[in-house]
Amino acid sequence: MIEQFAEGALMAFRFDTLLMIAVGLFSGMLVGALPGFTTLMAMAILLPLSFFLDPLVGIPFLLGVYKGGIFGGSIPAILVSMPGTGAAVATSIDGYKLTQKGESRKALDMALFASVIGDTFSDIFTIVMIFPIALLVMQFGPPELFAVLLMSLVIIVSTSASNPLKGMVMMLFGLWLAQIGTDPIGGVERFTFGIFELKSGIPLLPMLIGVFALPEMVYAVMRSQKAQDFAKLVGHRLTRAEFNRCIPTIRRSTFIGTVIGIVPGLGQVVAAMMGYSAAKNASTHPETFGEGEVEGVAAAEAANNAVNGPTLVPLLTLGIPGDNVTAILLGAFVAQGLRPGPQLFEEQGTIVFGILVAMVLANLMFIVIGYLSIPFFARIVTIKTGLLVPIVIMFAFAGAYVFRSDTTDILMLVGFGLFGLLARAARFDVMPMVMGFILGGPLEYAFGQTVAMAGNTPFNFMFTERLGMVAVLIATPIIGYTLWRRMKSATV
Amino acid sequence: MFLKSLKRTLGAALVATLGLGTAVYAEYPEKPITLVIPLGAGGSHDLNARVITSIIPTYLNQAMIVRLSPGAGGQKGTQEVANAAADGYTLLFSHNYIDMLQQHVENLPYDPNADFVPVARVNYAPIAVVVRGDSEYNSFDELIAAAKANPGGIDMAHSGNWGALFVPAAQIMKATDSTFNLVPFQGGGPAMQALLSGDADVTMGFPSTLSSLVSSGKVKVLATAGDERIYDDVPSFAEVGIGGDVGFMHRVVLAPAGTPDDVLAKLGEAFTALQEDKTYNRMMGRLGENTDYIGGDKYQMMRADQNGAYKELVADIAK
Repeated sequence: MIEQFAEGALMAFRFDTLLMIAVGLFSGMLVGALPGFTTLMAMAILLPLSFFLDPLVGIPFLLGVYKGGIFGGSIPAILVSMPGTGAAVATSIDGYKLTQKGESRKALDMALFASVIGDTFSDIFTIVMIFPIALLVMQFGPPELFAVLLMSLVIIVSTSASNPLKGMVMMLFGLWLAQIGTDPIGGVERFTFGIFELKSGIPLLPMLIGVFALPEMVYAVMRSQKAQDFAKLVGHRLTRAEFNRCIPTIRRSTFIGTVIGIVPGLGQVVAAMMGYSAAKNASTHPETFGEGEVEGVAAAEAANNAVNGPTLVPLLTLGIPGDNVTAILLGAFVAQGLRPGPQLFEEQGTIVFGILVAMVLANLMFIVIGYLSIPFFARIVTIKTGLLVPIVIMFAFAGAYVFRSDTTDILMLVGFGLFGLLARAARFDVMPMVMGFILGGPLEYAFGQTVAMAGNTPFNFMFTERLGMVAVLIATPIIGYTLWRRMKSATV
Repeated sequence: MFLKSLKRTLGAALVATLGLGTAVYAEYPEKPITLVIPLGAGGSHDLNARVITSIIPTYLNQAMIVRLSPGAGGQKGTQEVANAAADGYTLLFSHNYIDMLQQHVENLPYDPNADFVPVARVNYAPIAVVVRGDSEYNSFDELIAAAKANPGGIDMAHSGNWGALFVPAAQIMKATDSTFNLVPFQGGGPAMQALLSGDADVTMGFPSTLSSLVSSGKVKVLATAGDERIYDDVPSFAEVGIGGDVGFMHRVVLAPAGTPDDVLAKLGEAFTALQEDKTYNRMMGRLGENTDYIGGDKYQMMRADQNGAYKELVADIAK
């Protein structure tokens, strides 16, 4: 095994491998930065290209597209408050505030470094611990997933919103929105009022752009009657002192992200929010979070990228893709004659280790590529408001449409934009609503599965046969601690 | 002067329009063809379509573009094609369960029988019934006997109601008069993971995704769909008493009804030629898929049979 690793590692240092990783990273970053074009689409379109390339070139190329794309998504989230995926929502909280303060470059730098560090450490951890992780993955079934999702929602609502009661109202609204459409288990239509367009549910992208980006653009226009520029400055780059201050946060978020990556079916959205919540709780100055705290960007980005390593484990050790991205990677492996599964490491160990090492190299290369690209992206916000706002709105509408090529989504976008403005005027935070919406579907599905598995005795099944009880036992002190802290800070 | 130029412009426009009109009729395809997939990215339809669309331009002299349009269990993409112009420039890449089964369990905004004509059945994926390697069930008959002895006591993981794993499971239950507890998972991958982790006792999978799990002994295959055996030592469905078109996912290209015959013929020729293409066969082979083609006319008869069988199945389950 060690020999295969050494041999494979050397194979990764090929000029064409490194070149195609760079191409993948850069194109992934550009695609990820465009709202409506997802990394997943880019990978699906580029997949046939990898069929005709050497395995050690084609697969690292796709991994490059994937990694570049995740970071790309945080660019519009930071610059114009337009998160294109659920994973970038937590980044936009403090990222956009930093842009408004004229420090967009610092925010982008922090996002880059935190992403790369989170990703690299989780990749290395995964390579070293791949077989223990494979055993651990097997311990999580629908009942555990349900418990963890429920716990996540409680933590999000208790930490992210400035007012827990309003946060709770918004989260319940989000959970309700997630119910609209065809019930995923029973197939019954809910709250569709017979409208066919609502049958597939409310799409996430128009909601994200609508509630986060459109209100910000309206406010930017109102502000600019006094100031001509969208954001006066791009600010200075991230300093060493600022980076050092964030190291504990990055370490914590990397750990959280890696653990969440092990639980199948949770993913980047939960990781980013958990990393952010944990950083806010651990901070001696939680009041700066949400007001342009560079640590908030670090917390979210390190956590959502640290998910990437462990999600590859079921794919590599069992040949089972856990999500759509790994499904495309499975296609790429299989088309190369590599059959992911229990014997992959015995039969093709050298090439697989080569690919894994190339994946780590991709991270390191991305520091350079990202660092050189950031000044170019950061300059976008120095465009005059009168020009930038129409451009952003155009991208908002185009992005909402392109995602599913459906004109209904334009109406949804406008509707959510108006809703976002109203919520803001009434001082309701939209974050818990979006999280309730994103996690509501998986939560309900896991619950339905648990009931189906339990037969006639769901309560017994949940608390005596399964890990669910453990999750509840862990969750209680965390929630208690959070509420206690909150009450303490409120009385001061 | 002005009038003269106006006349000339109008004349040119007229010629251009007429020219284009005849060209469309005579020389289909004149522009790229869109292949709508009513399913998500990364699934087996997506992967198959990427192979098809990268090779079929050789035979059509036009590009074929994949457009993913998932939602409402496949109804969103299907409806888009049902509403599209019947000119051969918008096609649907679907499978038999979306195509023929859904009409019996939901109110569809289209009529699959009247709104579509099949162009080609590109290939099919046969289902395999699998249990864990250390399972107490060593044969299909033992599994069914256990399910009869303890109705609903055996958990069968599937990939969603009325989907590619659920329907064969329901058909097996009907044919053998047994009852499993059907537990849904979001796709075949999670269902397989549930089997391996012990959350389910039995599930189904396509042999193209099973090879490594079977050869390592992680799972045992108890039976495979069809008349012929796929694994030398595993009985086929026909041998265990389950006959007919059960457990096949047919990947099928459909066109909106009313598409001109010459257009359908041209498409049929291209898909037939595709089956002879060496690169196509090699790439499908690598994905573990067959290239077992059936022409549109013949598949139309199979659709009619499916329609009847599914109607009966749904009525039976609903009882």
